[in-house]
Amino acid sequence: MQYAGCLCGAAPVIKRYKASATGMVAGAIVCAQANGSSGQMIVTAATATANQLGSLLDTGVGPNAPITYSTTQGADEAVYGVIVNPDQMLRVLMVTGATGTALTADTIVTATASGLTTIGGTSVASPDMDQGIVWYLSGANVGRSRTIGSTSSVTATVIVPFAANAIGDTFVYAGLNIGLQGMTLTTSVQNVRSDIAIATGVNATTIDLELNGISDSYVTATLGDCVWCQTT
Amino acid sequence: MAELLIKKQWTRAEQLQALEAGGKKKGRAAGGWMADIAAQKKVITLCQGCTHKFNPKRVGYRKEKEFPVCQAKCDGCSTWDPFCSWYIYEELYTTVRSTAEERRALAASRAKRIAHGFL
Repeated sequence: MQYAGCLCGAAPVIKRYKASATGMVAGAIVCAQANGSSGQMIVTAATATANQLGSLLDTGVGPNAPITYSTTQGADEAVYGVIVNPDQMLRVLMVTGATGTALTADTIVTATASGLTTIGGTSVASPDMDQGIVWYLSGANVGRSRTIGSTSSVTATVIVPFAANAIGDTFVYAGLNIGLQGMTLTTSVQNVRSDIAIATGVNATTIDLELNGISDSYVTATLGDCVWCQTT
Repeated sequence: MAELLIKKQWTRAEQLQALEAGGKKKGRAAGGWMADIAAQKKVITLCQGCTHKFNPKRVGYRKEKEFPVCQAKCDGCSTWDPFCSWYIYEELYTTVRSTAEERRALAASRAKRIAHGFL
């Protein structure tokens, strides 16, 4: 995840916090530690998060030995830099699957002159992409996107029509869209999965989408459960 | 160039503050402390009075220019400053930040690919 500024345009506030566990990775969202923990923060889970502190700026890895969380007496304390602004925006690469491979492009198998449906080879109803976004990678609609109005099996229906599509046109869809809260992260907690149903996962809200190709599309999100606003 | 070395008189409050997580410890020279942070590839924040003493390229760091100031505790003088410069380890930069040049190049690439018919 890449820090992309604050909604209010303010300068980032950087604090250093102690880790409560291993697994700290640069760019990840970190959260306040659970009651009884040793340090001050833990890295977010991939599918849920609460009491977000901010985003991590470093890994704390030294040239010879990693500076990682340890309860060994005399070991270096694992302290990391965190951007703590509650209104920070994070730019995150869209991927597919838990390990984070490129987005999966689908191909139109049934052409529609109305441009209201995209009928591909994989299901858009399970996981449900309703209210997500679909955009074309080739054909007459290349580069154009629409909000998905409804889904049924392999058919995504839009309300504002595309131009007529043709068999063989490629397109991509994502269970993400402006204003929707919830995104599922990869196992590395650094990228966002587009192949999960909308409003599922970590409390982060989409503020912008960069809909490019299968390996360079991004979502920009804000923290939806920031501990500076309210402890949950 | 002659340099005056004056022993710093630490107050109790300063000693306690120095024990805070991530802070420079009592009696520790700023240069050595900075070298330690740089070796750990941690983000470095320096106030206006300290930032010119740090050469980021020598230790593989990159100065953040798109957001030129941050609010942080200076790693040089341990003072909270709302106008710090911040430096990110070069290898980690693209993980935690993107630049306007990169985004501009991506936008240009997108336009070019659309013109060629495949995004």
